[in-house]
Amino acid sequence: MKRSHTKSQFVAVASIAAELSAVMDVAKEISLAAANAKAIAFRAGEKAKGFQPITDFINELAKDTIQLVNAINEHALSLYQLTVDEYRMTEANERFEFAAHLAKGAKYESSLYPVHQQVQQRMQICLSQFNVHIAQLLDQLAEVMHPARAARVIAANSRIEASQAGEYLQSLQAVAESVDNAAQVIHDNVQRCRSALSFINFVD
Amino acid sequence: MTTCSAAEAHYHLLILLTNKGVVSLMKMTKIYEGTHEWIMYGRDEHKPQNIIDTNQYIVRTPNRCLILEPGGIELFAPMLAAVLHHAPVEEITDLFASHQDPDIISSLGLWDQALPKAKLHAPAIWEGFLRHFGCETIEYVPIPDNGGTIRLETVELQIIPAHYLHSSANFHIYDPKAKILMSGDVGAALEQPGAPVFVDNFEAHVEKMRYFHQRWMPSNQAKRNWIERVRELDIDILAPQHGRMFKGEDVRRFLDWFEGLQVGIAV
Repeated sequence: MKRSHTKSQFVAVASIAAELSAVMDVAKEISLAAANAKAIAFRAGEKAKGFQPITDFINELAKDTIQLVNAINEHALSLYQLTVDEYRMTEANERFEFAAHLAKGAKYESSLYPVHQQVQQRMQICLSQFNVHIAQLLDQLAEVMHPARAARVIAANSRIEASQAGEYLQSLQAVAESVDNAAQVIHDNVQRCRSALSFINFVD
Repeated sequence: MTTCSAAEAHYHLLILLTNKGVVSLMKMTKIYEGTHEWIMYGRDEHKPQNIIDTNQYIVRTPNRCLILEPGGIELFAPMLAAVLHHAPVEEITDLFASHQDPDIISSLGLWDQALPKAKLHAPAIWEGFLRHFGCETIEYVPIPDNGGTIRLETVELQIIPAHYLHSSANFHIYDPKAKILMSGDVGAALEQPGAPVFVDNFEAHVEKMRYFHQRWMPSNQAKRNWIERVRELDIDILAPQHGRMFKGEDVRRFLDWFEGLQVGIAV
């Protein structure tokens, strides 16, 4: 792997962490919107009867998203550690190659071979682990898109139910709007995570 | 190889062609030979021009090797290659860092890859800082403020406190058998590339070290404490981490000069 790839890995992994942090904030906002909607629907009574189960569903979606983002965050953290390890291994490998070159003819030159070999092996292991983690992370990111898509459908249903709620129409429409916007933000952020990962293009 | 007793025995250890076809040289001087050896490495011609030149030392016993002040990251390859003329990798069992500066020990992460069973002897209070360089397999042996010893087979080296000279936790290494004091930044001088390894004219040398000591050393009190401690040691060679080494009468001259010097001039 070339050094420039390692550098872009740091940037990509850091970008993912930043995007995920924003997704987490938005998921918390959805959760708050769900609690707010529940209170409004309770006050609206019969007029918002159809809205009540939707609020539970919104809340579930927010919880699912938070859970998934937590799992992805853990993964991104181990990916960052792997990036650090891989950077160190690549760096070490280059320095060992130079040392081996300089040590030609030294009395104990051959004692460097096994050490250098181990560094090369560790670098390869890091690289393959990194590839596995990237694939898993992409799967998880695809997974987090599901609740975001579902949230948009719910937002559309919420608008319909809100229209039956008389004087609560505006409050409930605002909830639907907020869920819709949040889902869009999550969708966009996750897409950015995926494109950040696509910058990591391995070359052995 | 000859010893320093036969005047300045400089050796161009590595005369090799690099990938770019440039001749590269690294100077090595054996400064003690007895039951064990002391070898000084320095004047590295691979060194990028904008980083400070450093001296590295090894203490070699029959089956073990201690590297004193292993050096910065840029120095790792030439240093490892040079040490391989005296010890196989598996016998490099110990590293010593007098303090936390990058020119002393930023190569730690690379030694960590090369020497999974080695020990790093370094100031206790710098442990959390030094680990930033990467220290996962090497065992960190924290040196308490009052110093201690490092034992290499039959050789016992004394760890001499040199706090605030210049780092807040700082140690030097004294070998009573070889009568060598590795004095870290104390005695350092900023030299031209290719300078001799021993001081040959003390008066002329003073100007090369005056500003370094006045500006880098923060405390006259710490300086006096160190001088008092070091005057009790029997020293043939004072071996700093930058510039030339002092031997014989020049050791006493240096201590006298340093004693009279006002340090900590930036405030």
